[in-house]
Amino acid sequence: MAHFKSHLSRVLAALALAAAPASAFAGKANDTLTYASDVEPENVGPYHNNVREGVIIARHVFDNLIFHDLKTGKYEPQLATEWTWTDPQTLDLTIRKGVTFHNGDPLTADDVVFTLNWAVKPESKVVTKQNVAWIKSAEKIGDDKVRIHLVGPFPAAIEYLSGPVVIYPKAYFEKVGLDGFAKAPIGSGPYKVTSVVPGKGVKMEKNTNYWKGSPLGTPSLGKLEFRLIPDPETQVAELMTGGVDWIWRVPADQAKQLESVPNLSVLAAETMRVGFLQLDAQGRAPGSAPLKDVRVRQAIAHAIDRKAMVDNLVRGGARLMNSACFIDQFGCTDKGVPRYDYDPAKAKKLLAEAGYPDGFAIEFYAYREREYAEAVVGYLRAIGIKANLNYMKYAALRELARAGKVPIFYQTWASFSVADASAFTGAWFKGDEDDLTRDPKLTQLLKTADTTVETDARLKTYEEALKLVGENAYVVPLFSYSTNYAFTNELSFSAQPDELPRFFQAKWK
Amino acid sequence: MTDIAPSAADAAALDTPPPRRSPGLALLRRSLRHGGLLVGGGILFIIVAMALAAPLIAPHDPYAQDLSRRMIPPVWQVKGNWDYILGTDKLGRDYLSRLLYGARISLLIGTVTVLISGTIGTLMGVCAGYFGGKVDAVLSYIVTTRLALPVVLVALASAALVGSSLHGVIIVLGLLLWDRFAVVTRSATQQVAGGDYIAAAKAIGCSTPRLILSEILPNILNPLIVVATLEMAHAILLEAALSFLGLGVQPPLPSWGLMIAEGKQYMFFSPWVIAIPAVALVFLVLAINLLGDGLRDVTAPENRN
Repeated sequence: MAHFKSHLSRVLAALALAAAPASAFAGKANDTLTYASDVEPENVGPYHNNVREGVIIARHVFDNLIFHDLKTGKYEPQLATEWTWTDPQTLDLTIRKGVTFHNGDPLTADDVVFTLNWAVKPESKVVTKQNVAWIKSAEKIGDDKVRIHLVGPFPAAIEYLSGPVVIYPKAYFEKVGLDGFAKAPIGSGPYKVTSVVPGKGVKMEKNTNYWKGSPLGTPSLGKLEFRLIPDPETQVAELMTGGVDWIWRVPADQAKQLESVPNLSVLAAETMRVGFLQLDAQGRAPGSAPLKDVRVRQAIAHAIDRKAMVDNLVRGGARLMNSACFIDQFGCTDKGVPRYDYDPAKAKKLLAEAGYPDGFAIEFYAYREREYAEAVVGYLRAIGIKANLNYMKYAALRELARAGKVPIFYQTWASFSVADASAFTGAWFKGDEDDLTRDPKLTQLLKTADTTVETDARLKTYEEALKLVGENAYVVPLFSYSTNYAFTNELSFSAQPDELPRFFQAKWK
Repeated sequence: MTDIAPSAADAAALDTPPPRRSPGLALLRRSLRHGGLLVGGGILFIIVAMALAAPLIAPHDPYAQDLSRRMIPPVWQVKGNWDYILGTDKLGRDYLSRLLYGARISLLIGTVTVLISGTIGTLMGVCAGYFGGKVDAVLSYIVTTRLALPVVLVALASAALVGSSLHGVIIVLGLLLWDRFAVVTRSATQQVAGGDYIAAAKAIGCSTPRLILSEILPNILNPLIVVATLEMAHAILLEAALSFLGLGVQPPLPSWGLMIAEGKQYMFFSPWVIAIPAVALVFLVLAINLLGDGLRDVTAPENRN
């Protein structure tokens, strides 16, 4: 039996070799990078999904007005050659000339104005309202000049323009509508979509006419293929046999073991994604009455050994989070936010004080990293809370939560890679559908913080809001995520801290 | 079968049958000579004993997680240690303890499911076999309908509808697996119902419920027990399959199917995580099937070949 393991690895290696010819379908040989992930966007239109896979496609297929250089931290021109604030609620931009969409139409100020005005219309039903809710309207003020009117002062506007706000082609979108656009989106980015098959994936091809001088650079890989593979083991198997070239979110254990596989490279990097427990503090869901008591919520926070989870499960540069945001985001701080250290005895005491000395049973929902969720369930069990784990697909679970049927939601949020606390707090506490807290005081504080121009006052208001979240334990922030990337060593790929793989910068070796 | 004349010894044996050899004793003798029955019964006995004694013999709390001690391999591997004989799982829970407690879940599901499905199936089968005619036609139609439904598919659908839990699995399986009971008891009842003692019981004015309970049921018990063992194995396997798919028993309950599912991601590099519960499951199901086969052989010796 001692040799069983080595035997098995040999057998597996032999299998891998036997299956090697299959790799002719992907990889350097035919200039196609096949990447796999476990979730697919329900709609590839960037404004109509809130999953990471959708963000990746958005960055490859569309252009932003402004480019955020993560290395220097500076904002550089992208579609907008220059921009000026005429006042805190008015932003004037000059739109670059000579950029064309994938279908050959020129990109003009009209497209910019159309996109922004369309996205803020309620009937457009943008999924993450926080991304565009700061815009009041846009107007064309010259041949290549656009003016954006803001709802109120919003210092993070530039960050949003360099992230989730991408530019759509007016003529094409008006012709095909939202459904048509989801099937065949057209943008101006470095890659163009050639096929979208729900449940299977998305194929992309290099945009050979991509405009020169873009801060994104010139794409090198000929074709990209996103394949949906929900099962992580299948992903690993496909990677080992050459069926796919690139996977991520590889659990730390496997990542360590994949390092020893020849022909593969493994990379670990912290991301902006923060895992947290969303607690139904309003008691809307069936069986979540105990969560209305702040002591119960605090007990839950004390019950979880987050440090042990970071050190043993997540690893790879993940950090413990005490505040409901990613600590490096502008405005995010854990100063003054109460620390809920791992203390099962105190948790039990709090439960007893709240009238649940023997704990209670509750439904617990999760959609990814099942073992993290199971670890949390295990910790809750240790203080007497019998959490029944329900593991679901994200889109279905989100609808369930929005309908007020989820008592405890193991959530994760990567803020659309926006390096501003508003992208986190705005999504979860500003009274929108995803907000399970709905504390009017908190919502008001965040509205003030989002629109405060003066930096110190803005930071202070976020601090106050985050403190309110912490004191009431509306959510239990857990840790930042690290992602392990594993890919063929024919590929030269580097990871960025914002959990956004940039294949337009990757090359074959 | 043979035309050789019986030897003197045989003749003597025939003339003087062993004194007081009751049918029960004969059954026991046949059982003790049946290898499969002994092996199956032996393994099952060990598993049941370990499951019952789990709280006494389990070295750790099966739910106690310790993330700093996760993925310790079993003792026979290089990094194994005797505190965790079968190692620990991805959350640092003792694998042996989970295996022992998991046996309880499997056996519980097997037994209760068979009690529910056995009651439904036997009731239907006896009614169909005894009353015949329209009752038989209707009940047979229901059985046929049930047989046309793929069990796993229906179980998956109902688990998805009503949610997944231990009770849910037991009820769903109990309400699904009665078909063989019905088919077997129906034909067995038909055979028995023509017997003279039934006619005699009727003649002395025995009521129908009493007739069924005290005359028919005891006489069809043997095939029933055989079906029950086979269905128990079936239920245990189905539970493992449902739990593996995430629609059966929910974590952190230590079900073997769930343990296999949780070990799936370690298949390539730590195969023991999946191998241990899988081997346990194979042994349990094998033991129950051997026992069932053996019981059929010894209780119905005339069918033996």
